Amino acid sequence: MNSSIAILFAILFPMAVGLYILIRPGFASRKELLTTVTVGLCVTGVFALLVLSGTEQEITLLSLGKNMNIYFRVDQTGRIFAAIVLIVWILAGFYSFEYMKHEKEEKRYFGFYMLVFGVLLALDFAGNILTYYMFYEMMTMLSFTLVLHSRTKEAIMGGLKYLFYSLCGAYMVLLGIYFLNKYGTTLNFTAGGVLNMDLLAGNEGMLLVIAFFMIIGFGVKAGMFPMHAWLPAAHPVAPAPASAVMSGLIVKAGVLGIIRVVYYLFGADFIRATWVQTAWLVLTLVTVFMGSMLAFREKVMKKRLAYSTVSQVSYILYGLALLQPEAMTGALLHVVFHAFIKSALFLCAGVIIYRTGKTKVEELTGIGKEMPVTIWAYTFASLALIGIPPASGFISKWYLALGSLESGISVFAWLGPVVLLVSALLTAGYLLPVTIKGFLPGADYDYQSLVKKEPAPVMLVPVVILAMLSVILGVIPNPLVHYITEIVGTVL
Amino acid sequence: MSKCLIGSLVFFPLAASIISFLIGKKDKKLRNGFVKLVCIAEFLLAVGLFAGYTAGNEKIDLILPGICGMGLSFTTDGFRSIYAVIAAFMWAITALLSEEYFAHYRNRNRYYFFYLITLGATEAVFLSADLYTTFIFFEIMSFASYVWVAQDEREASLRAALTYLTVAVIGGMVMLMGLFLLYTQSGTLVISELRQACAGKDVTVAAICLLFGFGAKAGAFPLHIWLPKAHPVAPAPASALLSGILTKTGVFGILVISCKMMFHDGMWGTFLLVLGVLTMVVGAVLALFSCDFKRTLACSSVSQIGFILVGVGMQGLLGEENLLAVRGTFLHMVNHSLFKQVLFSVAGVIFMNLHKLDLNEIRGFGRKKPWLAGIYLMGTLGIGGIPLWSGYVSKTLIHESIVEYIHLIGEDRSHIALFGVSDMKIIEWLFLISGGLTVAYMCKLFAAVFLEENRDKAVQASFDANTSYIGMPGRIALTAAAVLFPLFGMTPHLTMDRLADLAQPFMGAEGEAHRIAYFSFTNLKGGLISIGIGLAIYFMIVRTWMMKKTPDGNKIYTNKWPKILDLEDYLYRPVLLQILPGICGGICYVLDHLMDTAAKILPIAGSVQAGFFDTVTDGVIVFLRKTIYKDSPVQYELDEGNEVTAFLGRMMNRIVYLLNHTIWRKHPNTTDYVHRMALAFAEFKENTAIIGRSLSYGLILFCLGFCATLIYLLVSAFS
Repeated sequence: MNSSIAILFAILFPMAVGLYILIRPGFASRKELLTTVTVGLCVTGVFALLVLSGTEQEITLLSLGKNMNIYFRVDQTGRIFAAIVLIVWILAGFYSFEYMKHEKEEKRYFGFYMLVFGVLLALDFAGNILTYYMFYEMMTMLSFTLVLHSRTKEAIMGGLKYLFYSLCGAYMVLLGIYFLNKYGTTLNFTAGGVLNMDLLAGNEGMLLVIAFFMIIGFGVKAGMFPMHAWLPAAHPVAPAPASAVMSGLIVKAGVLGIIRVVYYLFGADFIRATWVQTAWLVLTLVTVFMGSMLAFREKVMKKRLAYSTVSQVSYILYGLALLQPEAMTGALLHVVFHAFIKSALFLCAGVIIYRTGKTKVEELTGIGKEMPVTIWAYTFASLALIGIPPASGFISKWYLALGSLESGISVFAWLGPVVLLVSALLTAGYLLPVTIKGFLPGADYDYQSLVKKEPAPVMLVPVVILAMLSVILGVIPNPLVHYITEIVGTVL
Repeated sequence: MSKCLIGSLVFFPLAASIISFLIGKKDKKLRNGFVKLVCIAEFLLAVGLFAGYTAGNEKIDLILPGICGMGLSFTTDGFRSIYAVIAAFMWAITALLSEEYFAHYRNRNRYYFFYLITLGATEAVFLSADLYTTFIFFEIMSFASYVWVAQDEREASLRAALTYLTVAVIGGMVMLMGLFLLYTQSGTLVISELRQACAGKDVTVAAICLLFGFGAKAGAFPLHIWLPKAHPVAPAPASALLSGILTKTGVFGILVISCKMMFHDGMWGTFLLVLGVLTMVVGAVLALFSCDFKRTLACSSVSQIGFILVGVGMQGLLGEENLLAVRGTFLHMVNHSLFKQVLFSVAGVIFMNLHKLDLNEIRGFGRKKPWLAGIYLMGTLGIGGIPLWSGYVSKTLIHESIVEYIHLIGEDRSHIALFGVSDMKIIEWLFLISGGLTVAYMCKLFAAVFLEENRDKAVQASFDANTSYIGMPGRIALTAAAVLFPLFGMTPHLTMDRLADLAQPFMGAEGEAHRIAYFSFTNLKGGLISIGIGLAIYFMIVRTWMMKKTPDGNKIYTNKWPKILDLEDYLYRPVLLQILPGICGGICYVLDHLMDTAAKILPIAGSVQAGFFDTVTDGVIVFLRKTIYKDSPVQYELDEGNEVTAFLGRMMNRIVYLLNHTIWRKHPNTTDYVHRMALAFAEFKENTAIIGRSLSYGLILFCLGFCATLIYLLVSAFS
C-alpha cells in the first residue's frame, strides 16, 4: 500500500467522525459521544504521526481540470504547522470534555470540532494553492459555527463579522489565484516561486499589486491591520477551547497562506525591496503596536487575549515580511511558540470562567490562591509571551530582532526591534496583572474563606502540558531551530 | 572538577528552591533549616571556587551549548570569583537572620522559593562569560526578586513592587535592544572578546541601551526611583540583598560596558562621570532629607552607587593610567555590599521588634543595647569613610584618581579634555561634599536611634526593657559581617589591596600598584574634609532646620523634601500610565475601528454612488429639457370649466376656506367654487349656443346689418 494514503486518512478520518457525530440523531449518553470523539482524536493523531514521521510524500486526490488538482504534499513547512495543530487540537479537545459541560449542544460542537480538525490538517498538507484555497474556505465556514456556538446576540454578531471579513479576504486571494494561473508555471507550491519570467516581463507592476492583495487577503485570517477587527470580536465569544484553537491555530492558517504565497509562489526575490515589502512591513508594525496597546486597555480577559493575538501574529508576519533568513527563522519559531502559549492562555481563561464565572481581569484578585496550578501555568505562558528568558518567546524575538537588524532595510532595521520591545513591555503590562493580583491578593485578603477551585485533571493536564511546552522549548530550542533553519535555507 | 563547581554554584540553588518549596508544604521548620544549609553550602562552594582560582590562577570555563539557543557560558576570574563569594556570603548571613525576621509572616514558602532562585541567578550573572547568559539570568533575578518586595502584600508594598518590576522590565527591554545592536555590530557577546570586537566600531548606541538596563538595576539617576520606594517596604533581609548585591549586578554590567565595549573611551568616561556625580549628589541629598530609617539607607545606596559610577567614569577618563580608579571602584563595590548588608540587617532588627521605621517612632530604641549600637557603628564608620574603616580606603582611591586627573589636565597629558581643571575641581568638591552628606545622614540615624531618648517615656522604658531583640544565629552572623570593616580598614595592604590585585584584570588595568600610603597626610586630608563638612551639615542643618519643636518641648524630625520633586509620582507614573497610553490608545482605537467604520460607511457610500450613476442619464435629459429643449409649460387638462373659471373658483375656494375658519366657523360653507364656476360657465356656454342657434337671433343680426348698410348709403349720399 502506498504510504501516502495515510495523508488522506489523516484528513478524511476526523471529517468522517465529525459528520457521523452531526448526522447521527442522538447519542445514548454523553459518554458515548465523548468516546467517539476520543477515538476520532486518537486515530487521527496516529495517522497524522505516520504522515509526519514518514518521508516527503504526495498524493493527488482528484483533478478538476487542467492545472486544477486537489493535490497534497507533505513538506517541512507543512509538517511544522501540522505538528502544532495535532498537539494543540488534541489537548484542547480533551479539555473540552470537561469545559463543554457548562455549554449546551455538545454534539454540534464536537461534530464541527472534528470537521475543522481534518480541514486544518488538509490545509497544512495542501500541495497547491487551489487545494489550499478550497480548504481555507471550508475552514472559515466550519469554524464559523464554533464562534456562533452560544447563539447569544454577541456571538452571532461576532460570527457574522468573522464570516464577512474572512470572505472578503478569501476573494482577494482568489483574485490572485487567477493571475498566478496565468503568469505562473504551476500552481504547486515550489520553494523559490513559480513565476514564469518570460510571461511576466512588463507586467511586474500589476503582479506586485496582486501579491499585495494576496498578502492582505490571507492577512485577514492572521489578524493583520487593517483587516483585524473580526478577531477581537469573534475569538472571545466562542467557548474557551474553541477560542484557544482559533487563536492558536486557525490564525496560523493565514500565516501559512502568506508563507505559501510569498515564499512558494511569488518567491521572496520578487517582493524584496519593492513597495509591497515596505507597505507590508508598515502594516505589521502598526498591528504589533496597536494590538498590544488595545490589549493593554482591554478589561475583559478573553478579549485582551484576542487583541494580544492580533499583536503577536503580526510579530510572525513582520519576520516574514523582512524576507531575511534569520527573521524568517524567528517567525516560524514564533508560529510554534505562539500556538502553544496562546492556547495555554485561553485555556487558563477558560478554566477561570468555568470554575468561577469571572471574565474581567480586575475580578481576579486572589485567583492564584484558589487555583495555583492553573495560574502558575498562566504565568509561565505569560512570561514566554513577553519574552522573558529562558522561556520560549525570548528565542523567537531574538531571531526576529537580529534578522531585522541584519536585513539592513533603512529605518525598519531598528524600528522593528524597538516596536517589538515596546510591544513586549505592553504585553507584560496586560498579562502580568492577573498573576500579580492572583498570587499577591493584598494583606487584607481573607484566607479563611479560601476555597480551592482547581479544575478536574482532564482540564488541568492540557493546560499544564502547553505551559510547560512554552517554557521547555525556550530552554532547549535547538532541534526546532535547526529544523526551521533547513526550511528557511530552501526558500531564501 | 572546577567546572562542576561553577555549575553547582548556579544550578544547585535553583534546584534547591524547588526542594525547599516542597519541604515547606510539609514542615516549615525543616524548610528553614534546609534553606540555611543551602546558603551555607553555597558559600562554601563559592569559597572553594575562589580558593581554586587563587591557587591555580587559571581560567575555568563552563559552556552549556544549545541551552536557550545560543548556549550558556560561565567563567571565573578574580573579579567574578570574589563577587561569587560576596554574594554567597550575603545570602548566608541573611538566611541566618531570615527565620527570626519572618517568624510571623505569611507566604514564607514563596519567599524562600524566590530567595534561592535569586541566589542562583545572581551567581550566574556574576559568573557569566557572555552577555547573553548575563541577560537571561539578569531577567530571572529581576522577576524572582520582585516577589521579595511585594512579600507582605500591603498596598504600599504592592505599589513599590510594581515600580520595581516596571523599572526592571523596561530596563530589561532596553538592555535587550542594546544586545541586539551590539551583536549585530560586533558579532559576539562573549565578554572577553568584546574589547577586540568593538575596537574601532561605534557601538555608542548599543552601549547607551545597555547602560540604561544595567543602570536601572544599579539605581543610577534618573532610574533610581525604585530604590527609595522598594526598600522601606521590602523585608529587611531582602532590602539588604537588593541594595547590597542586586545593585552590584547592575554595576557589573556597567563595568562590562565601560571596560570592554568602550574601553578607555574618554567621552564615555565623561558621560559616566556626570551621571555618577548626579547620582551621588541626588542620593545623598535625598538620604539627608528622609525621616524613614530604611528609606535613608536606600537613598544612601543610590548615593554610594554614584561614588562607584564616578570611579567608573574616572577609569574611562584616565585611560592607561586608571589604576587608582579601577581599584577604588572595585573596593567601593565590595565595601558597599558589606556595609548595606549590616546596616539593613540592623534596620531589620528594629523593624522585627517594633514594626515601625519612622525615625520619630523608633527613636531611642538602640539605647542600652551596646551590641546593636556597636554593630551599627561599624557600618556607620565604614560607610562614612572614617580612617581605619574600610570605606575610607576605597573613597580615598576614587578621590585620588580625581586628583590625579586634575594633575594630568594641568600637565596637558590627558587625551580627552572636555572638562578643564576648574570643572574637575568642582567635581572633586562635590565628591567631598557627598562624602560629608554621607557622614551627616549616618549621624542623623545613629543619633536618633542610639543616642536620643524617645519622646514618650513609657515607650522608652519598654525599649530599654527589651533585651532579647535578636536570637543567637543572627547575632553571630551580624558580628561576623561587621568585624570585617575595621579589619579591612586597618590592614588595607594585607587585605583590600590583594582583593584589588585579583580583580583589576577584569577592568583592563595592568601592573602593580605602588603601595599607596593610605594614612599619609595628603590622603587623610580628603577624608578629614569630608568628615568636617559632614559634621557641620549635621549640626547646622539637620539639628536645626530639619527638626521641629512640638508643643511639649521635644524636637521631632520632619521631612522637608518637597513632594513635587518625586520623579516617580509626578513624572514617570503620569507619563507612562496616563499620557502615553492615552494618546497611543486613542490612535490605536481609531485604527482599530477604521475597517469597521469603513464597512459601515461603504454600503452607504456605495448606494449613494449607485444612485448617482443610476440617475446620471436621466439627469442629463432633465437638464437638457430645462435648457435647450425648453417647452412651453405642459397644459393640464381640466376636468371641467376652463382656466378662468378654475382660477376664479380656486380663488373663491380660498376665500371661503379663510372665512370658514374665521367668521363662518359655526356654519361653514362647503361649496366647491371651482365646480360652481364651471357649472356657471357651462350654463353660460349653453345659453349662448341656444341663442346663437335661434331664428330671432338671425333676424336681429340681419336688421342690424340692414341698418348699417342704410346708414352707410345715407352718409355717402350726403357727402
